[in-house]
Amino acid sequence: MRQRPAVLLLALLGGLLPPSSAQAQAVRATDFRGREIALAQPAQRIVCLIESALSGLYMLGAQDRVVGVSTSAYEESVLPYYAAMDPRLRDRLLPTPGNWDFVNLESLVSLKPDLVVIWSHQEESIRAIEARGIPVFGVFVGRFADIHQELRALGALTGTGARAEELLRGADQILEGIRRKTSGLPPERRARVYFMWAQGELETSGRPSTVQELIHLAGAENVAAGIDQEHLVVNLENVLLWNPGVIVMWHNPRRDPAQVLALSAWQSVAAVRQRRVYEFPEVFTCDLWTLKYLFAAKLVASWCYPELFDPTGLEKAQRDLLATLYGN
Amino acid sequence: MSQVRRRWLLYLLPLPLVPLCLLAGPAAGLSAGKVLAWGLGLLVPHAPDPTLDEPLLRTILWEVRLPRVALTFLVGGALACGGNGLQALFRNPLVCPYILGLSSGAAFGAALAMTTLWLPVQLSAFFFGMVAVGFSYFLARAQHTVSVVSLILSGVVVGGIFTALLTIVQFLTDPFKLQTIVHWTMGNLHNATWEQLRAAAPGILVGVMWLFLWRWRMNVLALGDEETRAVGLNPTRERVLVLIPATLAASAAIAVAGVIGLVGLVVPHMVRMMIGPDNRHTLPASFTFGGAFLLLVDTLSRSLTAFEIPIGVFTTLLGGPFFMYLLKKARVGWEA
Repeated sequence: MRQRPAVLLLALLGGLLPPSSAQAQAVRATDFRGREIALAQPAQRIVCLIESALSGLYMLGAQDRVVGVSTSAYEESVLPYYAAMDPRLRDRLLPTPGNWDFVNLESLVSLKPDLVVIWSHQEESIRAIEARGIPVFGVFVGRFADIHQELRALGALTGTGARAEELLRGADQILEGIRRKTSGLPPERRARVYFMWAQGELETSGRPSTVQELIHLAGAENVAAGIDQEHLVVNLENVLLWNPGVIVMWHNPRRDPAQVLALSAWQSVAAVRQRRVYEFPEVFTCDLWTLKYLFAAKLVASWCYPELFDPTGLEKAQRDLLATLYGN
Repeated sequence: MSQVRRRWLLYLLPLPLVPLCLLAGPAAGLSAGKVLAWGLGLLVPHAPDPTLDEPLLRTILWEVRLPRVALTFLVGGALACGGNGLQALFRNPLVCPYILGLSSGAAFGAALAMTTLWLPVQLSAFFFGMVAVGFSYFLARAQHTVSVVSLILSGVVVGGIFTALLTIVQFLTDPFKLQTIVHWTMGNLHNATWEQLRAAAPGILVGVMWLFLWRWRMNVLALGDEETRAVGLNPTRERVLVLIPATLAASAAIAVAGVIGLVGLVVPHMVRMMIGPDNRHTLPASFTFGGAFLLLVDTLSRSLTAFEIPIGVFTTLLGGPFFMYLLKKARVGWEA
């Protein structure tokens, strides 16, 4: 009882003092569902169930706070890169409580996350996670601007906002550099590009897609832009009539440009006749759901306009971009 | 006109559809009229159409439409003949070529190949389709005989197992491959090439020809086991000898075209309604009418929009209501 006045005095003083450091670092951001996520302090234990968002966290330098990842992070196409950056992934020590499709709630809760990053369409899983009092950041990437928004929001939630802004300023500079070279091209000089997904020669993307943005960014035209579908299978007749001057293949373990050049039905296509069929390198280096889309745009631009973009400098450009994004 | 000639005319009735389907396509600027005029121009001297890109038209007709039309016709014919053969074998008009787990096995094989990347899709689909039917058969076999009921039951079980395996593959794969797997299971003929035609034709033609030669015995099998024995035939052996070609034809068709529903069920019924239940006549008619039915549906699916709509969607949307109409209009079954 005798201690009470001292406690009261301390409490009063506490009220007059500046807020504690944790309170000062309270963070908030709005996710792609339009929900505001408010954390008392920057996230310290993050479960990230989206591989591209995981890449974003590594770019922000917040990888040490990741305690759970998507099963996709252990796929052969990306694992070597993550393994080089993080010994926990190299040694397969980071748990995988879910992916783009499913979430193992028990595994996830046992990791005691203070933030879960997940696709916004995984509504049932989000409801179940939020019902346990865990904040959820829902992501949707439909355009490149969404990648910028995602990075900015993750920067805010992890207290790495300055790094996010630095990355985005760098991205804007690269984009401006590409635009400066292609903006003066007259319409008749603009390359007409057919984009070929790895699932088949006739699988492409129409207007509302990151592929459309990518081609546009490179100063070219998507021949399938007239079709209002994100991902579609087109009829070969239409490809022959579109007669694209350049074919860009997504990285394809089953086919390479030489095989496309040999397809008998495609011989009338200008891109095949002029041997202008190109394939993206590994998925990790030009992922269209991360800032690495900048390298993809550079590649497409240099394939379309070798006179404007030096194709010999692409390897260095790739190394430089990866070093800028992930550090050395 | 003799009955035989009339019957042959009926068999050949759908064939004019084949060249007609070559006229239709999604390519704007290549209207059916232009293609027809160009085709007639090959026979009769004419002034060339300056607006026509003739090399492109030749490529589209020869490299795109012709292999697709031919493959579609063969696939439709194979599925209808397979359905006809198995309906006779099981003495059940509700049977289709997928009754013994063929579609589940083939879908699993295709999905596995798409996920692992080192297996050829067609070969894997064909192999696992045959494996599923083989399992069903050996599961049903007891004391050197195979009863129809146990065969259907084992088909349901094996189909379920392969569906579960397919689900596991779908569960483990990424969203892009999943999209392709779903597309495959809905049927697709958009990748038709001469190579695919060459790959599928031997299996389909051997299966269909075998069934054609066996059409007499299918009539005997349709009467029942006792009647089959009464004419000196072994029902178990005869069943295998119908099951093998029906599965071979359908497997070869599924391997190149994915799972296309209803053709093997609806077309044999249509044919039976026209010419009666005699398998000697229904089998050739099933082939031409099955081919024509699928060709008509595929022409719609490739011509309506600039993008491809999976053909399985159309066969179900068109075949389903048509089958319902038949059910309401007439008694569907052996007595038709």
